Amino acid sequence: MKKIAAILLLVFVMVISAACSSSSSSGKPEKTTKSNGEWQPEKAIEITAPSGAGGGWDTTARMAAKVLSENKIIDQNIGVVNKPGGGGAVGWAYIHSKKADPYKLFITSPPMLLVPLNGQSQFDYKDFTPIANVIADYAAFAVKADAKWNNLNELFADMKKDPSKITIVGASSPGSMDHIQFVKIAKAAGIDITKIKYVSDQDGGALTQILNGSADVYSTGVAETVEQVKAGKIKVLGVTSEERLKGDVLSDFPTAKEQGIDATFVNWRGFFGPPDMDKNAIAYYEKKFKELSDSAEWDEIRQKYGWDEMYMNSSEYKEFLKKENNEIKTLLEELGLAK
Amino acid sequence: MDVFHGLLSGFEVALSLHGLLFVLIGVTVGTFIGMIPGLGPITAIAVMIPITYGMDPALALLLMAGVYYGAAYGGASSSILLNAPGTSEAVATSFDGYPMAKQGKAGKALATAAIASFFGGTISIIFLTFLAPTLAKVAISFGPPEYFALMLMGLTALSSLSDGSTIKALISATIGFMIATVGIDSQTGTPRFTFGNAHLLEGIDFLVLALGLFALAEVTSLIITRKEKVGKSNTIGSLKLTKNDFKEITPTVGRQSVLGFVIGVLPGAGGTIASFLAYISEKKLSKNPDEFGKGAIRGVAAPESANNAASGGAFVPLLSLGIPGSGTTAVMLGALMVLGIQPGPLLMGDHPDVFWGVIASMYIGNILLLVLNLPLIPYISKVLKVPRPLLTSLVIVFCLIGVYGISFSTFDLFLLLGFGVLGYIMRLVHFPASPLLLAFILGGMMEQSFRQALTISNGSLSIFFTNPIACVLIIIAFASFLVPIFKTLRRKAKVDQSVDM
Amino acid sequence: MLNTTNKKTAVVLFFVSIIYLIASFKLPSYAYVPIDSNVIPIGLGVILLILSIALFFIKDEKTGEKVKLPKEDLIAILVVVGFILIYIFLLEIIGFILITALFIFFCSWFLGFKKYITNAIVSIVLPFAIYYLFEALQIQLPQGILPF
Repeated sequence: MKKIAAILLLVFVMVISAACSSSSSSGKPEKTTKSNGEWQPEKAIEITAPSGAGGGWDTTARMAAKVLSENKIIDQNIGVVNKPGGGGAVGWAYIHSKKADPYKLFITSPPMLLVPLNGQSQFDYKDFTPIANVIADYAAFAVKADAKWNNLNELFADMKKDPSKITIVGASSPGSMDHIQFVKIAKAAGIDITKIKYVSDQDGGALTQILNGSADVYSTGVAETVEQVKAGKIKVLGVTSEERLKGDVLSDFPTAKEQGIDATFVNWRGFFGPPDMDKNAIAYYEKKFKELSDSAEWDEIRQKYGWDEMYMNSSEYKEFLKKENNEIKTLLEELGLAK
Repeated sequence: MDVFHGLLSGFEVALSLHGLLFVLIGVTVGTFIGMIPGLGPITAIAVMIPITYGMDPALALLLMAGVYYGAAYGGASSSILLNAPGTSEAVATSFDGYPMAKQGKAGKALATAAIASFFGGTISIIFLTFLAPTLAKVAISFGPPEYFALMLMGLTALSSLSDGSTIKALISATIGFMIATVGIDSQTGTPRFTFGNAHLLEGIDFLVLALGLFALAEVTSLIITRKEKVGKSNTIGSLKLTKNDFKEITPTVGRQSVLGFVIGVLPGAGGTIASFLAYISEKKLSKNPDEFGKGAIRGVAAPESANNAASGGAFVPLLSLGIPGSGTTAVMLGALMVLGIQPGPLLMGDHPDVFWGVIASMYIGNILLLVLNLPLIPYISKVLKVPRPLLTSLVIVFCLIGVYGISFSTFDLFLLLGFGVLGYIMRLVHFPASPLLLAFILGGMMEQSFRQALTISNGSLSIFFTNPIACVLIIIAFASFLVPIFKTLRRKAKVDQSVDM
Repeated sequence: MLNTTNKKTAVVLFFVSIIYLIASFKLPSYAYVPIDSNVIPIGLGVILLILSIALFFIKDEKTGEKVKLPKEDLIAILVVVGFILIYIFLLEIIGFILITALFIFFCSWFLGFKKYITNAIVSIVLPFAIYYLFEALQIQLPQGILPF
């Protein structure tokens, strides 16, 4: 009995200390200044990452939350909530149920367009409020260092001759980002996209397949290729940005555009809100995300992950999404994947 | 920098006052996180990322590696004591760990797990230290045909998991494989058997299945025996392993650490598969396979040494190639990037302090974990002294939080309950549940690699036979499937003869 | 006819395999791979179908081992399942702390735990401890209707 009491006491102390530490961090003075239609958050803000802990969305959200609060850009507590499932669809359904709630943001990227177009989510980007885009990332197409192709045109020339000899590998299933980014560039280069041989392999399997020669072309993000290129294991035939990227090694990667293939692909990442969000709240967040995007801390994070700056406000974002969505839709329809 | 030089400088970092402190904090936090339902190594590292941001990278990594290792250790306790694994790597440990605890040998089971983990971890770090560059070649030697062959080999071993009816084991395995087909098919993007439910698109989580089939189903027997007063299972028993015990587990730990390490090195396989393969291969090798599942000490030692060795093995592709072979190492990779270190083939050359610091911290972390865990056992085992009705409620809550912590959706909780009912029915009609789990974890990967290989070969099956490793593995798979059948046939023939006489 | 557990189970499994097969055949086709997403499921469905037939006709190795469950125990199990269902339904509505506390208290009480004070202490302290532990790790469990 004595021992049980001791254990209970221990647990009790743990609870109290945890409670104290959390209340001290949330005990900031609340701001309620509301003049001429301006909006200010009055309680904690929740950013949903529609994926599990540790993924791209989760990392971006957690780092953004950290900079926003540590730099006092937003005075309220910002929590990150994980809602994994359905490649984002579960998280989107959750946000959709929080109509007009200005305290529920979420992080998103091209799957916001791809998953609904593949018929795997009942909600698409039009069902939410785009607030601000913050970063951009680009696709890279890499082959083994000793492969016979030295640029995209050589690769595509061979693909036109015999598409069954060349395997493209990516980390996600057909119709999702790694597949579509390649399809988009290939189509612009005049390839019959229904003949492209694509396999998907998770958990680092895609890069492994390139290194051991099982597959030929690796469709991935630019950041994933840098170290392998430095070590001389693979070479990048092309990236999907408008202009050459800046930075060590990165600036050596030729763009598809400069190789005469008129297409780009942006892996944009930004923040959305639930449907029918108040326009004053949108204006508030636009300003705050601009501050985030301009901060030195965020710049440092961008460099560490190899992300590019790409700020768009709400209306620019909407226009951009509409254009992107139409392009992707055409591709998926041609592949027979659109639902 | 040669190995000894590097290792020495690594120990300089890790054995500094700061270094030791961070490793200690890491393993302690990690052990507790591993014990708490709903929190596994992935979450532990993910939440560490913002916390360690801006810290000295070498120290931050010591902390992170400590958490990673600690969480792998901590998972075993709930597996053994409550039959409710906190991490998927610890599922196989419950097969014999929980029966041991029921027989009043919880102390011994936990001690065995800790010791096996220690040796598994340490053996794998020794391999990592001396052979990382060589092993990097092994890590990328496996393409789709080889993975298919490896998974096939694992599946043919499932016959050894059936005690009694082979046909029931096969049915159980088929159902496990069927459950693995739920979700988006990676090769075509087609959603399979999801019935329009977004929660099913990413498939069913292994832990939901395991907690339902084992932990919740076991709750029913706790309910039935709810009125039992202090029984055998309330005693913890001695922690000490006898000389005989050591004699018994030493070869097991030795070979399963090597197996676990090799599986861990292969991207995509990981600790869960390693622990299952270790368990079944140990059972196959045993002279008394019937003891397995009924509290065999080797049945605890095998999966625990293998899963810890695998978590060390997973560092080979990560640190020497920049390939994250599992969900956990993928998060590790993200963590390293935040600290300004790009893991890749050049890591050893560019950041020797990081590489060797991590390795040195693993040696120390492992020792600290053993020192920390052994004295904790009597306290952790106190959970068995909790009165039966309260314990029952706590086990249920444990399962519920464990599942909710993975997906944060109540849908998965319903799924958990559904699997609990399935597990209970399977007990009633004498269907073994472990073949179902095995087929679930191996089946999904087997199907994907099979189809990847055939896409690459444009549909020609020859890809499996022109490839030496795959061919050998497939032959072994068929042999291990057919030999026992011949054996039983011969035995039957002998029996018939003796009857004739 | 259906006198043994095995035969009954076999019939259930037979229907499961039929349903699974129907669902497999209904999967949409994808033109660009040699082995489509329905091939393995169809194979699995057929295997289960054959195995269920085999189970029906096989001689049971372990006959007579009929599990007898006292009615009282069955009711207890069903009530606990009911508690779990209530827990799942209310978790995101009234919040983690409250529902967990109620669950532990009532479930333990129902199963015959008579030390009310110990029960109450555990039911209150444990959910709080877990909730704040998760929060310390920046993982939010459902807050629900409690103001903190």
